[in-house]
Amino acid sequence: MAQDNLSPSGIPIKDIYTPEDIKSLDYKKDLNASGEPPFTRGPYPSMYRGQAWTARRLSGFNTPEETNELYKEEYKLGQTGFSVAPDMTTCSGMDADDPRAAAEVGHAGVPFSTLQDMEICFAGLPIDKMSTYLADRIGGVLTSMYLVMAEKRGIPMAQVRGTSANDLLAWSALNLLNQVGPEAELRYAVDLIEWCAEHAPKWNSLSIDSYNARDNGINAVQEIGLAMSNGIQYIEEEKKRGRVPLDKFVRRFSFNTAVHNDIFEEACKLRAARRIWYKIITERYGIKDPNCAKFRVHVQSSGSTHTYQEPYNNIIRIAFQVLAGVLGGAQSIHANGYDEAICLPTDQAMLLSIRTGQLIQYESGVTRTIDPLGGSYYIESLTNEIEKKVWEIIDEVEAQGGLAKAILKGWVHRLYRDAIVNYEGKIQTGEIPVVGVNIHRLDKVPYEVPIFKPDPKRSTARQIEKLKKLKKERDNAKVKQCLAKLEEDTRKGLNVMPATIEAVRNYATLGEICALQIKVYGEWKHPMSI
Amino acid sequence: MVEKRKIRVLVAKPGTDSHYRGAELVAQILRNAGMEVVYTGRYQTSEMIVSTAIAEDVDVVALSSLAWSQEKYYTEIAKMLKDKGTGILVVGGGIISEKAKPKLLKAGVTGLYGPGTPYEVIISHIKDRVEKERWGTAPKKAAPKKTATKKSSSKKC
Repeated sequence: MAQDNLSPSGIPIKDIYTPEDIKSLDYKKDLNASGEPPFTRGPYPSMYRGQAWTARRLSGFNTPEETNELYKEEYKLGQTGFSVAPDMTTCSGMDADDPRAAAEVGHAGVPFSTLQDMEICFAGLPIDKMSTYLADRIGGVLTSMYLVMAEKRGIPMAQVRGTSANDLLAWSALNLLNQVGPEAELRYAVDLIEWCAEHAPKWNSLSIDSYNARDNGINAVQEIGLAMSNGIQYIEEEKKRGRVPLDKFVRRFSFNTAVHNDIFEEACKLRAARRIWYKIITERYGIKDPNCAKFRVHVQSSGSTHTYQEPYNNIIRIAFQVLAGVLGGAQSIHANGYDEAICLPTDQAMLLSIRTGQLIQYESGVTRTIDPLGGSYYIESLTNEIEKKVWEIIDEVEAQGGLAKAILKGWVHRLYRDAIVNYEGKIQTGEIPVVGVNIHRLDKVPYEVPIFKPDPKRSTARQIEKLKKLKKERDNAKVKQCLAKLEEDTRKGLNVMPATIEAVRNYATLGEICALQIKVYGEWKHPMSI
Repeated sequence: MVEKRKIRVLVAKPGTDSHYRGAELVAQILRNAGMEVVYTGRYQTSEMIVSTAIAEDVDVVALSSLAWSQEKYYTEIAKMLKDKGTGILVVGGGIISEKAKPKLLKAGVTGLYGPGTPYEVIISHIKDRVEKERWGTAPKKAAPKKTATKKSSSKKC
C-alpha cells in the first residue's frame, strides 16, 4: 500500500477492497435495515423513499423586514424549512444600539434585539407548516422569542416545530465577544433542553454543532469525536441534576455537521456517527427506547473549501458535498452559495443553492434506494475505521473531564490551531490539491462574478430607531421586574427558561438578558492558541 | 557577533468580524519566519490597535478583516499611526475588492494579501518594507528587549 494514499482523516486507503476487508461484519449487529438499530443505514425506515431531506438555507440579512421578504422568496422557491442566521451583533448578545456593535448591524445575518424583530421576521409565513432552525446562542433568548411569537399567533408552544443551535462547541469555536465560559454555557444549554423536554416536545432543543469546528481545519474523525463528546457531556450534566428522565432528555437531540470534499469519507462519517450515537445512548446510558438513539443530522457544505479563485468551481464542489450528505443519509441539507468566499450570496447564488439539492433529488437517481453505498467493501471498511478512530477521540476528551473542561483549558483551541497550520500548510505545498489555486492555476483572473452588497448602514439606523421607540412604549417597570426575577433564578441555579420567556414576552431585549449572563458569570476570554 | 534585530509585528483584527482563521495563521507564519509577533485577538477598535502598536514598539501592524468595514478600519488605523508620527508600517489582508485597493495603497496600507497568497510573498513583503522604510532611512534605535511586556489586551506568542 502506498504510504501517501491516506484519507483526509489520515486513514490508510487500499487500492482495492475485497470481501476479506469486511469479513467480520455482522449485518444485523453492525448495519441492519434503515430505521433499525444501530441505524447505520439511516434513522428512519423509509428514508428518502418516504420523504426527501429538508432543504434549508441558512440566511438572513440587513433587517427583519428585508429578511421576511427573503424568506417569502425562499418559500416560493420550494424551500421546506427556514434557517435563521442572526448577525454578529445578535450572536454576540448585543442590541442594535450597543456601541460595541459599531456599524455592523445586519452585516452577515439578521439582527434581533426584541420579540418585535422576531414577529416582523416571520410575519405572513406559514410557521405552522414549516420548521425553523435558529442559530441561537446559549441562553435560549431567540428560541424564547420564536416560541412566544408562535404562541401569539395561536400556535401552542407544545406544537411548534424547529431547532435551536444551543450548543457550546459551536459557540466556543466561534469565539465571540460578550460570551460566558464553557461551563456556564453548559448550564444554560441544559436548562433549555430540560425545559423543552417538558413544554415544547416538538422542538429540537439542541443541535450539536461541529460545523464551525470542522471549518477551523480539523478532519472528519476529529469532528465527529468532538460532536459525540459534546453529546455525552450534556447527558452527564443532566445525570448529575436528575430533573428530567434521560430518555426524555435526549429524545430531541439533533446534530449539525459539515460535509467536506472527500465524498466517501464524509458519507461514511455520517454512517459511523449513527452507529456510535446508538451505542452511547443504549450501551453507555442504558436508555431502552431506540428512538432516543437516532442520530439525526443537518449538514452544510463546508465553507472553508470554497475558493476565492474561479468561484464557479465552488458550484461543483458544493454539489459533491451535498451528494456526500445525501449518500450519508442526512435529514436536512444546506448548500452554500458558490460566491461565499467573496461576499454574502447573491440572489442567483441563493437560487442555485436550492437547485443543487433539487437536482440531486429529482434528476440524479441517487434516492431510488436507501443507503445505496451500504455493503460496499470499501464503504463498510471505511465506516469501521472511522468509528474506531472516533472512539479514541471520545476517550481523549473524557480523560480531561469532558468537553467543557477541554475547551476551558485550551485543548480544543490548540486542536484548531494545529489543524489550521497543518491544512493550510498542505495547500501551500500542494499536498492537498485545490484546482485553480495550487494546481491548474491561471495567470490571470478568467472571469468576474456579481458581488452582493448589503446595506448595513441603513440597517443600523432603522434598528436603533425601532428599538428606541419600543423601549419607550413597553412596560418598563414590568421589564425590570422580569429581569430581576431572571437574575434571581440564575443565581439560585433554577431553570432559567420560564423567567427568560417572561422577560422576552414583555419585550426585554437580547442585550439586557445577555448582560445578566455576564453579570452573573463574567465574560470569558477564549484561548488564543497562536 | 551582534545578533540581527528581529522584526516585530502586531497582528490585529479590527471590528466585530469573527473570521479569525487567517489572522491566527498569519501570526504563526510570521513567527515561524523568525519575527516577533504580538496578536491582539479580535474585536479591536482602531484606537486599541494603535495604542497596542505603540506600547509594543512594533515595526509593522498586519491587519486582517473579512467584513465590509475593512476599508474604513485599515485607512483609519494607517492615518492614526501616521498622524502620531510613529513610522509604524501597515499591511493588510482579507477579501479586498479591486475598487478598494487604490484607496488602501494611497493610505499606506500595502500587501493586500488575498486568499491563497503564498506564505513567502507575505514574509518577503514585510521584510522588504521594514528594511527599506523603517531600518534603511530612519535612524536606528536601540534594540528592544526580546520579550515584550504582556498586556491584558494582547497575547504574546
